[in-house]
Parts: sequence; structure tokens; C-alpha cells
Amino acid sequence: MYPKWLWPVFAVPGVLWLILLFLVPFYAVIGVAFGGVDPIFMNAVPNWNPADWQFDSMLTTLGGFLPGNQYWAVLLRTTVYVALALAGSLLLGYPVAYYISRHAKRTKGILLALVVLPFWVSYMMRMLAWVNLFSPNGFVNKFLLWTHIVNTPPDWLNGNPASVVLGLIYGYIPYLILPLLAALDRIDRSILEAARDLGANPAEAFYHVTLPLSKPGILGASVIIALPMFGDYYTPNIVSGSPRTSMLGNQIDIFFHGGPQPSVGAALTLILSAFLAVLMAYYMVTIAKAQKELQA
Amino acid sequence: MSAVTEHGAPPRGLVEPTLGKKIRSWVANPWGHPRFLVVITWLYVVISIVPAVVAIQFSFNAGRSVTAWQGFDLTRWYFGDPAYSVWHDPRLQHAFWQSLKLAGLDMAIATPLGVLLALGLARWRGPLASASNFIMLFPLVTPELMMGVSLFLVFLHIFKFIQPGTTAQVLGHVTFSLSYVVVIVRGRLFSIGKQYEEAAADLGATPAESLRLVLLPLLLPAVFSSLMMVFAISIDDFVISQWLSCGSECDTVPIRVYSSTRGAPLPSVNALAAIMVYMTLSAIGIAYLVYRFMTRGERRSGEHQRGGMVQTMGGFDM
Amino acid sequence: MAKRDLQIESILTGYRRGFLSRRAALKALGAFGLAAGASPLLDFAALADEAGKQAGIGGIPLARPDKPVTLPVNGSPIKSGMEPEKGPFNIFNYQDYVDQKSVIDTFSKKYNVEVVLTTFDSMDQAITRLASGSVDADSTNITPDRLAQAVAGKLIQPINQDYIPNLGKNIFKSLQNPYYDQGSQYSVPYNLYSTGIGWRSDKVKEDIAGMANPWSVFWDDNSKKYSGYFGILDDTRESLGMAMMYRGQYDVNTEDSDLLEKALADLKATVPVCNPKINITEYQTLADGSMYLHQSWSGDLLGAAVFYMPEGADKSVLQYWWPGKGKGVVQNDCWSILAKSKKPVLAHLWLNHLLDSEVSYNNFTGFTGYQPAQAAINADQLVKDGILPAQLKNTILTEDDLGAGSLQYGALTAKGQALWQNAYARFNSGA
Repeated sequence: MYPKWLWPVFAVPGVLWLILLFLVPFYAVIGVAFGGVDPIFMNAVPNWNPADWQFDSMLTTLGGFLPGNQYWAVLLRTTVYVALALAGSLLLGYPVAYYISRHAKRTKGILLALVVLPFWVSYMMRMLAWVNLFSPNGFVNKFLLWTHIVNTPPDWLNGNPASVVLGLIYGYIPYLILPLLAALDRIDRSILEAARDLGANPAEAFYHVTLPLSKPGILGASVIIALPMFGDYYTPNIVSGSPRTSMLGNQIDIFFHGGPQPSVGAALTLILSAFLAVLMAYYMVTIAKAQKELQA
Repeated sequence: MSAVTEHGAPPRGLVEPTLGKKIRSWVANPWGHPRFLVVITWLYVVISIVPAVVAIQFSFNAGRSVTAWQGFDLTRWYFGDPAYSVWHDPRLQHAFWQSLKLAGLDMAIATPLGVLLALGLARWRGPLASASNFIMLFPLVTPELMMGVSLFLVFLHIFKFIQPGTTAQVLGHVTFSLSYVVVIVRGRLFSIGKQYEEAAADLGATPAESLRLVLLPLLLPAVFSSLMMVFAISIDDFVISQWLSCGSECDTVPIRVYSSTRGAPLPSVNALAAIMVYMTLSAIGIAYLVYRFMTRGERRSGEHQRGGMVQTMGGFDM
Repeated sequence: MAKRDLQIESILTGYRRGFLSRRAALKALGAFGLAAGASPLLDFAALADEAGKQAGIGGIPLARPDKPVTLPVNGSPIKSGMEPEKGPFNIFNYQDYVDQKSVIDTFSKKYNVEVVLTTFDSMDQAITRLASGSVDADSTNITPDRLAQAVAGKLIQPINQDYIPNLGKNIFKSLQNPYYDQGSQYSVPYNLYSTGIGWRSDKVKEDIAGMANPWSVFWDDNSKKYSGYFGILDDTRESLGMAMMYRGQYDVNTEDSDLLEKALADLKATVPVCNPKINITEYQTLADGSMYLHQSWSGDLLGAAVFYMPEGADKSVLQYWWPGKGKGVVQNDCWSILAKSKKPVLAHLWLNHLLDSEVSYNNFTGFTGYQPAQAAINADQLVKDGILPAQLKNTILTEDDLGAGSLQYGALTAKGQALWQNAYARFNSGA
């Protein structure tokens, strides 16, 4: 019915935009990472032609990732924080999403609204709230002292890794619950009823039917929060100002906001992209497979 | 199943349990399917909302502290205090307008572009289409730091005619908003299906008429959701705005809030953040009402809502 | 920067560092058509080495308080006696570093021009943006360690002191002919500060100033009880420099990687002891009590006392200690005029305006809290005027604190900057 050229024409402006402002910038990072440095201002002089690429900066930076060196420690720490935060978010978020999509009958609307609410409150606002609550004379400490759980107010915001992980969970969990909810909602109830009819008890039905069917949803939601978490540098800065809890993003930040080595910053960015690309590729492949099944 | 036995006494199995019995059975089996989940869900709701509520509460603090409640003062930090309130502190006010400006421009550019892109990608077939789809999905999973760094470098070395500033910030915002619009609109497209347009064609509509009179009105709820989504993520954006900022004139609300958390925050920052929350929530509220109004023809009582707003907005194609 | 200029620079640098022989360098320069003028260039480069001064960026020697440098003049300053141009007039500066009311508005009114302020977050960012041409400014704030870079890159223009009588009238003598810009050819001084330790005596009971080595408070086991309430400046030079001074190593412009490694190890050692926060918000956090002790700039204590202490709070708890000349760092920053400025006369008048005694006094006491380089400013007078709490008299520097024998963070070579930055990044990585 529609002419064949219509849809590509519709898509072209958007794709062009993404190419110019997403792919080309990525190439700019590559150009700077393999480029030189202007001797007077120490600004990056990018090399666009692959023949001109200089690899010493990249090699030195890669060397920093060897075990025992500077970036290795940060990468390890970042990975551990992200893994813990992801696990924590799933442990807390999956039951919530599951309950709302499967069980809440009368309260579903309200619960949905309440769960979606933090999503619309700005991340910075939620972090501000977190910092206020956990500051030395904030409500959390006042409550802990009042109930005599502890005798001296614990120090939450001074280089405490637990605070950073909790802060990451608190900050990112709304972005996990929403897609998870949507995915769980899509699971056909009739399959579950069939399982029950075939004699499975609730636990078995969950384990053998719901969980596998929700795997794509879990994967998608995990990727949506884990990948951005790897680049997070502001959460450790807000929740703890200490180098003990710095993440990879903080290192990239240092090299870009001045100084004579912008190519190191670009190299770090590329290395981080490569690290995440593996995960991204897995996600893309899974999505593509699922989409093919959907369209078939 | 007969509910009545001799002499009208209620049957044993159907006696309404006393409160004590109810609690005992609840406690005895706290892992019973819904109960554990109920507790966790409400616990999560409380934990996630209370901090924001407390922060908003402190925006009404009479004193300067953000941790010690010193009395209620409705207007001090909003427009009362002559030096530090949101209305009077030029940096806070400027951040407010800058955030709104960026969000408005983002909505105006990303939504039409995204709708077109969604339509194009959903119905275009071929290897180029798959490649374009691939490109479109990338921003969704790219850490913002990488987008920030790459945009910063591209405006420094390639597109040198664009300086760090509002224009650059808008361009960055649109770039990451596009994918969200596409996903939302595409979800709606899938739930609509091709049936209405085919019916229109059968009735003699030209492609242009079919687009204008059938498809677009059906897409309006998704367009609306996209507008609200883009508004929210633009207001919320910190990293891209910071990297493409030109200095204090281009600071947005999240940047202001961030700087204040690293120093000594005043309740005026809470007030500023609270204002953004009020605006976003009102926008969402309006969007919800409009969405329900627009899709009223598609709901029949009792039917499970497959196209609800949450599904539409959270529906990352699986 | 044109590619050609870069290549010429690298040839000169190569000659200076000894990688190229004089003949090879001349030959290479000849390729750029510089054969005729190449010899003097090489002579200047050699001269720099022979005088025992390390050559920095652009071939300009690295200035130190006891090794003053005359910057090469690129172009001639504007003629005297010209009329000021029409606005708008653009200044480039840190945020909150020039008072709108007492400085900007008064200038606006006096010369009937609109003043537009563009801000930067750090000196690195400022130089990057000026170099890339992304900022259109007439006058900029700049630090001495960047002056040589700016001159080599032809970012700033020489000034004509006929327009700036206040320089000779009001400024410290030692800063009228500073070591980093002999003859004040490119800059006028703005604010002064020293780096030391600021603390609250109500939270930290120890007599910091009375200690044999007060810097050791960051390393002493006794400080473990204050863990998390200490702070170190988020600045590459200041943080590593403090670790050096703690050990009595006063060459804070060193490029020796062993000394830097030692300083890095020492900095890392503070983390298990006092778990310091790394930021520059001590002027707020000391005032509201969320920090007990912080490596500070002198102006921060003043700012905290005057502007950030809550109403009714006792200002006498704020304390400051500075090691003194030769053992502690002093610094001043400057203002310069950009080479591309289309309003150089206004720019000169702006510099003169900044150095006006009343304007700078109001700027200082009413807004920034940072001491201007005005000879008339006197700690006792400030205490009498009720502006300065008596115990903070040592935040005000005198003429004698500057000049030869003082410690200042100066320019480094590119290699040196990279060494410092890497060390700082490693400290921040918590490795």
C-alpha cells in the first residue's frame, strides 16, 4: 500500500542524526586516542588517517590495566561494585516487579504509580536526598541512635564502599524495575495456568516456567542498568569523596579536564567501550534473536 | 457446595477467621506466595520514595540546615530569602530556566525525528534496516560518560563551529533521547498492528490520507508518552550537560545539585530540585490523563491491558 | 595551531633536548624556509640551557622565584592615549571570583560599556578553550605557570603600562616586576594566597600550629579518631606538594620521578590513617562543621569566616596555619589581555580598574575573601575594621612573603606535567 521508498525516507533523518552525533563522535575518540599532543597547549591533535595513528599512548594505558597496576585496581573495584549493585537491584527489584505484574489486583494501579514515581524524580535529587539522610547528623543516624542499634553514629559518607554500592542500587533500581515489569507483564498467563494444571506447585511453576520466560526481561533490564553503571563517576563523588572508592569513570574524568595527556583519557574511554562492547554484543544478539521470533 | 448445615449454623470450614487467627496464619507462613512479596514491594516503595519526600520536606525548612528540622517555612527557600532562595539566587534561577530550555528544545526536536525514525525502522526491511536498527539501539546501553566524552571531543575537533554551550547540549540531549522515542513509538505500532491502515486502504484511502487520518491519530498516545519521557530524561540528564557546558551560564539543575552535594548544601537546592519534581509529576499526571482519554476507545472493562502506559514506556522490544 | 608551527616547535625542542645536532636542526628548519632566521632561534634555545634554566614550553625558560624570566615580546603593545572602545566587553574568569556589584557594575558605569562574563571551571579548561578559539574574550584571569604557555601560543598581548597607573601606585613592589613576567609585560597581579592547614579548634583539640611538623597531622596515628573529617585539596600540585613538604622536600617544582613516587606513596599513606576527602569546598564545609580540618588556601578561611559561617556562630574557632616563606607555598594569579581582543584599550582600563584600591578592597571584603596584591592592605587594619577575625591574621600575606626565596608552583615541562598528572591519577585511583 505504501510506496517502498517511504519508510527508508522516514528513517533517514534520524539515522543521519545518529551517525553524525553518535558514530562520528566515537571516531573522534579514536582519533584522539591514537593522536598526538600539541606541544604548546597540550591539546589533543587527533589523527584521522589510520596510517598516522600513534600507538604508544594506547599501549602505555593498556599496560596500566595489567594486574597490580593503577587501572587494574580501579577496573576490579568498578566491576565488583557494578556486580554487587546489579545483584542487589535484581534481588530487590525482581520480587517487586513480579508481585506487581502477577499478584497485585486491587492495588496494582497505585503500586504501579508508586513504583514508577522514583523514575520521574531526577537522579541527582534522589542522590541529594540520600546524602542528606545519611549525613552524620541526618535522619538515618538519628534513628539508629534513638533505637540504640549503634552507640556512635556510623560514618556513611566517608569512603565507605558499602555506601557506594547502596547508592548505586538506590539510584539505578527504578531503571531496572520498569523494563522488568513490562517484560513480566508480557508473559502469557495461560502458560502458567497450563503448568499448574499439569500438577506443578507454585514454586515449581515459578522456577520452571516464569523464571525462564522472564530471562530476556531480566537480561534486558540488567544491561540497561549495568552498562551505564560502568561509566558512573558522579555517584562515588557524591556519596564518598575518597579515592578508596573511585571508579573507572573518575580516572577518565581526571585526564580529560585538563593536563597534558588527553590521549590517555581517550584511550581509557576506548578500552572501557571495548570492555562493554562484549556485553553489548551479547545483548544485541539476544535482542535480534527475540525480534526475529516476534516478527516471524 | 452447600453453604448451610443444620439449624443455620455456619459451616465449619467457612467461619470468618478472627484477627488473631489471621495474623497467626500470616506469620506461620510468611513465605506464602504473595505475603513475602507484599512486604518487599511495600518496603521498596517506602525506601525509594521516603528520601525524596524528606528532601522535599527540607525545602520547607525554616533554618539553613538540610539535616536538622528547624520549623516550617513555606516560602523561604522558594522565593522568600532575598539572597539564597531559588527566585533570588541568580545561579539557581538560571539553572532552572536552562533545564527547561534544554528540555523544551529536546522535546521539539527528538519527538518528530524519533517518530519518523520509529515508523521507518519498524516497516523497512533489508540489511540497511537492520544496521540502522542496530545503530538506534546503541545509545540506550552506552554509558553517558562515553557519550559525553565523545561529544565533547567531536565538538572540539570536528564540528568546531559548535562551541560547548546550549546548542551543543541540545544536540547531545536529542541524540540520547531519540532511542527512547523510537522504542516507545515502535511498541505502540506493534500493538496497533496493520489492521487499521489496511482497512483504510480497502476503503480507498491514499497512502498520505492513511498516514494522516489513521496512523498518526492512533500513534498520538505514544507521541504523548514520548514527549513526557523526553522531558523527564532531559531534565534528569547530568553527564552530557556537564561535559558540553560552557561554564556557569549553561549549568542545569542536576549540575547545580551535584555541586552543592559536594560542598555545603542549603535548602534552596532542595527547593530547586523539588520544583523540578513538581513539574515532572504534573507533566506525568497530565500525560496519564490524556493517554487514558486518547485510548478510551481501546479499553473494554475487565480486559487485561496490554497497551497500558507502563508497557508502552517500559516496553523495550523483547 | 598550524601544523607548521608545531613541527618547528618540535625541532627546537629536539635541539634543546639534545636529540638533534645544531646542523640537523638548521637543516630541518631550512625545510620550513627558516634557514635565514634559524640561527638566532637556535641561539636563544641554547642560551636558555646555558643560563642553567630549564627550557619549558615554546622554548621559554621555566620561571622560578630565584630565576626570573623575561618573556619574549610577540608584537608591540597598543599606543598610548587612545580612546576606549564601545562595548560589549568580555571577561573570562572563574565563577564567583569577581564581584558583580563593586567591580563589574562600577566598570560598566564608568566607561559606559556592557560587561559580559564567561566562566571556566579550571585553568586547564580555560587554556584549552582559549587555544581552540571557542571563547571570544578580551581579558582573562590566568595563573603565572600558564603565562609562558600563553605567550608561546600567542594567546595574550603585551600591555602598555601607561594605561595602568595603578600598577605602580598600589601594588606590592615585588609583584610589579614578578619573576614570571619581568617588567610586567603581559600581566598584572590579582589575588594572593598561601596554602596551609585550616581547621576548627572546637573539633580538633590538638595545637596544630604548635607541632614540630604540622603537616604530619595527616599521617599521625593520633588522627585516626578524625577519620573522614579531614580533607586534602583536589589539585594535582597542591596535594603532591603537601606530601613533599611533609618530608621537608621543598623543591615543589621537581620533575624527578623518584621524588614524585615518594610523594605519591606518602599521599596514599594518609588514606588508612585519616581517610581524607578530596575536594575544594573547604570554605563551606569548615564553616558548617562537616569538615574538621582541611588543607586550605588562605582565602578560604577568610571566606568561611566572613561569608559562610552560620548566623550567630563563633568565628573564633576557625584557625589557619601556614609554614612561612620558603617552607610553604604562596601563589598569586593575574589578569592578561588576549591577543585577539578587539577592545584592547578597554582591556587595559579594566586591568587598571581591578587594581584600584577601593575597587579591590570592596571586591575582597565584600565578595571573594581573597587578598588582592594591594600594598595598602594590612592585617591589623582588617581586624580593627571587624572584617578579619583576630586569630586569622596569618591569612594575610605581606610584601616580604613574596619574591626571591618564596616557594611557588611554577610552570613545568610537558614531561613534568605528565609525571605529576599520572601520580595524581594514581592517588585518585585508590590503587
